[in-house]
Amino acid sequence: MQRREFLALSASTVAGAMMPLRAFSADAGLSGYKCLVNIFLLGGNDAFNLIVPSSNAEYNIYATSRQNLAVPQADLLAINPNHPDGASYGFHPAATALQNLFEAGDLAVMANVGPLIEPTTKDAYLSQSVALPPQLFSHNDQQDQWYTLKGKSPLSTGWAGRIADLLQDSTQAQQLALNTSLFGTTLFQAGDTSVPYTVGVGGANTYGALDAGAILGASRRAAFEAYLDRGFTNLHARALTEVHQRSLGTADKVNAALALVPQLTTPFPDSNLGRQLNTIARLIAVKDEFAMSRQIFFAAAGGFDTHDDQNQVQPNLIQDLSDSLGAFNAALVEISQSDSVVTFTQSDFGRTLTSNGDGTDHGWGSHQIVTGSAVLGRNIYGTMPTLEIGGADDATGGRIIPTTSVDQYAATLARWFGVAESDLAQVAPNLGNFAGQNLGFLG
Amino acid sequence: MRMGLFCVLFMLLSACGGGGSSSAEVPAPVATPPPTSSPPTTTPTPTPTPPPTDPVPAGISESEGHRFLIQSTMGVDHDDVAALQTLGYEQWIDEQLQLPASSQLAYLTSLPEPANNFQGQADRIDAWFRYAVQGDDQLRQRVAFALSELMVVSDSSALFNTPAGLADYYDVLAAQAFGDFRMLMEVVTLHPAMGVYLSMLGNEKPDASRNIRPDENYAREFMQLFTLGLVALNMDGSVKTDDLGEPIPTYNQQIIEGFAHVYTGWSFGGSTNFNRPSRDFTVPMEAFPEFHDTAPKTLLNGIVLPAGQTPEQDLAGALDNIFSHSNVAPFVSRHLIQKLVTANPSPAYIGRVALVFSDDGNGQRGNLGAVVKAILLDTEARTLAGDSGGKLVEPILRLVQLWRAYNASAVSGRFFFPSPEQAFAQAPLRSPSVFNFFSPAYAPPGEISDQGLVSPEMQITNETTIASTHNYLAVAVFLQNSSAADLRDDTITIDITSDLALADDRDALIDSVAMRLLGRAPSASLRIQIDELLNRIPANDADFRVAEVIHAIVTSTEFARQP
Repeated sequence: MQRREFLALSASTVAGAMMPLRAFSADAGLSGYKCLVNIFLLGGNDAFNLIVPSSNAEYNIYATSRQNLAVPQADLLAINPNHPDGASYGFHPAATALQNLFEAGDLAVMANVGPLIEPTTKDAYLSQSVALPPQLFSHNDQQDQWYTLKGKSPLSTGWAGRIADLLQDSTQAQQLALNTSLFGTTLFQAGDTSVPYTVGVGGANTYGALDAGAILGASRRAAFEAYLDRGFTNLHARALTEVHQRSLGTADKVNAALALVPQLTTPFPDSNLGRQLNTIARLIAVKDEFAMSRQIFFAAAGGFDTHDDQNQVQPNLIQDLSDSLGAFNAALVEISQSDSVVTFTQSDFGRTLTSNGDGTDHGWGSHQIVTGSAVLGRNIYGTMPTLEIGGADDATGGRIIPTTSVDQYAATLARWFGVAESDLAQVAPNLGNFAGQNLGFLG
Repeated sequence: MRMGLFCVLFMLLSACGGGGSSSAEVPAPVATPPPTSSPPTTTPTPTPTPPPTDPVPAGISESEGHRFLIQSTMGVDHDDVAALQTLGYEQWIDEQLQLPASSQLAYLTSLPEPANNFQGQADRIDAWFRYAVQGDDQLRQRVAFALSELMVVSDSSALFNTPAGLADYYDVLAAQAFGDFRMLMEVVTLHPAMGVYLSMLGNEKPDASRNIRPDENYAREFMQLFTLGLVALNMDGSVKTDDLGEPIPTYNQQIIEGFAHVYTGWSFGGSTNFNRPSRDFTVPMEAFPEFHDTAPKTLLNGIVLPAGQTPEQDLAGALDNIFSHSNVAPFVSRHLIQKLVTANPSPAYIGRVALVFSDDGNGQRGNLGAVVKAILLDTEARTLAGDSGGKLVEPILRLVQLWRAYNASAVSGRFFFPSPEQAFAQAPLRSPSVFNFFSPAYAPPGEISDQGLVSPEMQITNETTIASTHNYLAVAVFLQNSSAADLRDDTITIDITSDLALADDRDALIDSVAMRLLGRAPSASLRIQIDELLNRIPANDADFRVAEVIHAIVTSTEFARQP
């Protein structure tokens, strides 16, 4: 068999004229462009070592609890919150970019947030007189709580998916899904009626054998699409078909748009997270090609389940997060979108204050980070817990009870994004159980 | 320029990850001894044959036989259907149960020393494909693969540095695939690859003065993911609820802590002492009593292990405690059914298999050979599934199915395909975490979720991965067939010669390829698609016509699911 161009093998086919795009016409309710970027730290980030009390009294409590896992006091990167709580704090020494963002006013710390159904005190927890999210301390269950805010309900949509559902009418002009994931399918973005989109860090994957540049490619594509369109009686086949159709229907357009910004001048870390955020920045740069007015991106980094070798592993994890966030915020300045994008972290849970010798176990509450020019930064929101084993905030075994719920955190982000006040309870179903439904870090 | 095509293609594929791990992301190398020549730590266990749970149909049609082999092998070599028709299902299973396990470690030790761990892991993947595609112990390989997605370890971790350790771990799964589940629990628990992956290895007794508590990682995941699940189950797999209708948790945090204390004091076998590990990944872990907690430990169902036991006594007591829990039978049965037969087994089907798990008919609990047999012979497995039945084929098994159907091999004798996850979002022992590539409970939003059903493989099937899978299958068909140009010694090549003679007879060609790949005629809709393409290829261009038909079928949705 002679070698023939059976497959077209690059994205060059997208270099042709772009498809005509519909004119942008935002609904009256949604002005301008706003974007949320969720960075999920898979495995349970030990944020008690990321933002650490540095004043002597508080540091000593921390060091007594953390023992050989404590970050040395002298190594902490000092920060100067606009509204100090009496103690002082510093970032982990690997988080220089986070320190810079904080001091520049573009980063807020959300203290001790975690899945809750209603406000939970230690007494109520111990006497089991409070409703709790099921399966605390289990990775997948608590990830699902962060994604869905379902509490004890059987809810099967994510809160970003529900935001997309709520804004569907006012974002009809958008030619891409409101929700885009750079890290595969995620429950966070699953909607009732809205359908998220998944893209790779290298852009959208195209089907080489169906490409117009391949021998028979155009015919093959037409025949395959007609096959898909004829439909299937089997449920699993239909699920596959929908993904094929979305993939085939979107890839060329996405790649053509990305080709307009082949590279940003801002350097990103050469890490999985760095590459995801780089591609997100480029997609934001070409948002007008798709008439986007609202977007939520999902990115993720793994490896945070530091049961072992925490002192060796954690500095690299923090450095990657810090440098990636630093680069991403710099890139947003480069593309003049720093005011319109808010980036926030989530993670399964915090980790125990106790050590298992060289690592930590699954905890509950933990600190999260929010960045962007829209953020009222250089501040710590919520309440810093007492890092004392057996202390007032310790459920048991060094697992810290959250003082702010993920519902409050999500609602604060959703309100800024443009969800109507009256719709916030659909985004965060247990929001009504908490006072302080706006945590303030976005005004 | 034509030579460049091949390279560009691979660059494209390697740039298109599916959210999976990348070898560049693995932790920095840790000193590890090279693979040893030690044999696997266990040998196959012959399994007594229980009576069949369901009558076997008198005659097996070609399609029925093919469908059975989709469920029970890594991929169907259609030539095997005739033998199955002669033997019948039960005898075929019995013969498979007796075949010895292929050994990845033995194969690795026969290869030249790898230059680095990437090459070492590539050799391990080579071994997996070798036995998946060419091994005689097909049912064992299929069950071992299912077990590798239950009791997960992964080279996307510090285990990247021990290809031999992972090969040995897989060998243990293969050796125990038809054995006693209680024994499987033990060999997995004591395997140093698992010990490192879930940090039981090196786990120490508590030290209150330093706020040190035993590591809960293995205690938690062993129950949650490998044996019991989070909520109490009835024998049919349905969830037990309390008076308020809420699921009853299988255990609580205190019980996890009890098990965490059990799993203290273990390090590499052959270590001079606890803190000077041998780092030998091919022998079971060994106990160091001075690092083991000797206080009483509260386990499941109120069982308390007494104070002062040895590490071995505590471990045996803990594993017995879990093994006797009523969740094990439905939990493991459902996992294996979902991997072999259907994503959505009926409660009655789970219940029938779980009963065999509880008692194989000879009074033995946890006889996996009997469980596998019950799964495959069950009426629900042998009846053609309806519109919501069956399952998606795991993405990497679609490639193995193509390769087995067309007897793929390379001149080099190797299966050099080091990063299958970049095309298929899956590779053996390369899950992104202990939660496997996808959850058994994953339901894509929409009609599947709305009906309360699941389609687990859809969790790794998205706009990105579906295209990379499509692309690699196209490469495997068009660029890596026996008529293709520029084949290299290590190109894994499908043999299409027998179809070439049919190339100018459209219907005969389509029917032949479809029988090979699907075990039945293509759907009318797929035939229309193929006809349209064959109309554009001259009747005398045999290579092209054959490849086109194979390509259309392996990228069709009917090839991507098990009926």
